Amino acid sequence: MNMIEVSDLLIEIGEFELKRINLFVKEGEYFCILGPTGSGKTILLESIAGIYRPDMGSILINRHNVTDLLPKDRNISVVYQDFMLFPNMNIRDNIGFGLKYKGYEKSVIEDKVEKTAEFLGISHLLDRYPSTLSGGEKQRTAIARAIITEPDLLLLDEPLYALDPGTKARLRQELLRIHQLKKTTTIHVTHSFEGAFALADRIAIMHGGKIHQVGTPDEVFRKPNSAFVASFVGVENLFHGTSVIKDDQSEILINGLIIISNALKSGNVSVSIRPEDILISKDPIHSSAQNSFSGVLTEITRMRATVNLVIDAVIPFRVVLTKRAYDDMGLYVGSWVYLTFKASATHII
Amino acid sequence: MQRNGFKYANIILMLLLSLFIFTLIFEIVTHADPLSLIANIISPEIQFAIHLSLLTSVISTFMCILITIPVSYSLARYDFHGKAIINTLLDLPMALPPIVAGLGLLLIFGTTSFGSYLADAGLKFVFTVPGIIMAQFAVNVSLMLRIMRSTFEGINPRYEHVAQTLGCTPFQAFFRTTLPLSKNGMLAGSVITWSRGMGEFGAVLMLAGATRMKTETLPIALYLNISSGELDLAIAAASILILISGITLYLFERKGGVAKLC
Repeated sequence: MNMIEVSDLLIEIGEFELKRINLFVKEGEYFCILGPTGSGKTILLESIAGIYRPDMGSILINRHNVTDLLPKDRNISVVYQDFMLFPNMNIRDNIGFGLKYKGYEKSVIEDKVEKTAEFLGISHLLDRYPSTLSGGEKQRTAIARAIITEPDLLLLDEPLYALDPGTKARLRQELLRIHQLKKTTTIHVTHSFEGAFALADRIAIMHGGKIHQVGTPDEVFRKPNSAFVASFVGVENLFHGTSVIKDDQSEILINGLIIISNALKSGNVSVSIRPEDILISKDPIHSSAQNSFSGVLTEITRMRATVNLVIDAVIPFRVVLTKRAYDDMGLYVGSWVYLTFKASATHII
Repeated sequence: MQRNGFKYANIILMLLLSLFIFTLIFEIVTHADPLSLIANIISPEIQFAIHLSLLTSVISTFMCILITIPVSYSLARYDFHGKAIINTLLDLPMALPPIVAGLGLLLIFGTTSFGSYLADAGLKFVFTVPGIIMAQFAVNVSLMLRIMRSTFEGINPRYEHVAQTLGCTPFQAFFRTTLPLSKNGMLAGSVITWSRGMGEFGAVLMLAGATRMKTETLPIALYLNISSGELDLAIAAASILILISGITLYLFERKGGVAKLC
């Protein structure tokens, strides 16, 4: 069943506009809206939240037309990248804020706040004020404040953007865990394909106030339907696979190919290898690098200073060469080449 | 050597200006001996002026706060046609000589049918205490508006967005987030508005007149007593106004309000 239906949404705010957006999100889905800065993705999110009134079109949540409803009557929650914790209230009051306005009794609120804080590992912070918290703690608080009201729809606006890499990875896992447990329909706006790839059931690519493509991350990644989508998502090697830990390394099975990584994680994982970390050669290289494959060169795209190659080695690898290196190697579509990269260059998301 | 010459010339001018300001204040407060200064301050006329100034400036400051909160919020948060013109218009009284604003008020309340309608209804502004309040309000509301506008502009509207999604009406969201977060700006604005109300002369003179023991605020007391040669009473009124300026500057600086003026 469709949880969210956005039809012909047209809205103009200052220099930003949404041009007839059509979008549906299924119940329980984790949906990512991906686009560069200024693509209108935050306005779309805030329109679904009810912050902006559309000039045209309609928004249905749970089959109710909410186009003219105030945000408070939509049963949704928002988490912003810059946390937006109320600085004049402590963490306990921040988390309990929504319940207070939804008419819960004090003892019930107290109880739910304790439970939600425990769920997110921030019980020890309840009596502190937001200014004394780290970025990760602030975002956990913001997530707690959003999920405690049990919304039909959770709206996340770049929730991981303002965090350092370690915290980012931990909170990404946290978002996955919350979604797996609560099954709340989630729309997550981001400009990082890597982040969307690891989390999303489906993604929409947005640019210039329009949605360019909607599909599973794999579909969008493998079959981008426009040059924009291709250039936006096509810079990374991202794969899904199953990982087993052996001898202090992870062996990740992807379509029959085994990639070794120094990162330790088992089960279903997403893997990324930066194109510039892959060494390409016409003959096999003997080195300490543990990942070595061979494949056919299927695509050559000349950029200003570099050349982008796609090599089909069971799975398609994207590789970047400098113009000089490319010319020296004398490659053409159909060349048989060898790929080599280190276990440390294999990132598990 | 040339660099030092430049430096010393600047420093000497700075010291001269400081000396000038210091002498100016020193002359007033030391003109009379402390005992007679105190005697004049507690004289019935100056006591009356202090009370009247306090009463009118507190009321006009509250009026400024009440009206500028919604108006400055509109200017900070909404986009509409003619916003630039309205902004300029609302800033205008700040640059206008208060005596000119006072003349405008006198014409509105003294010569128009709207003015006589209000007077018939019991709201007389010409040569009355309500006139003092109205004059202070008209001159100071722009400054308060400017401070509140930049205060609201400095508060992320997403606090209200979040509050609204969590169950607040737009008004509740404003009341629970933006309003408490504007506390410092509002305090700084109130202090400076109040102090300017205490010292307002030109507009008050035009609308409320200068009647001894009736519309005699501190600056009016200063003016009346200087005109009639009662220098000691004039100095008593001036000393109180200097004290108020000192307190105001201290409170305003503490709330970091100076930066919010621009």
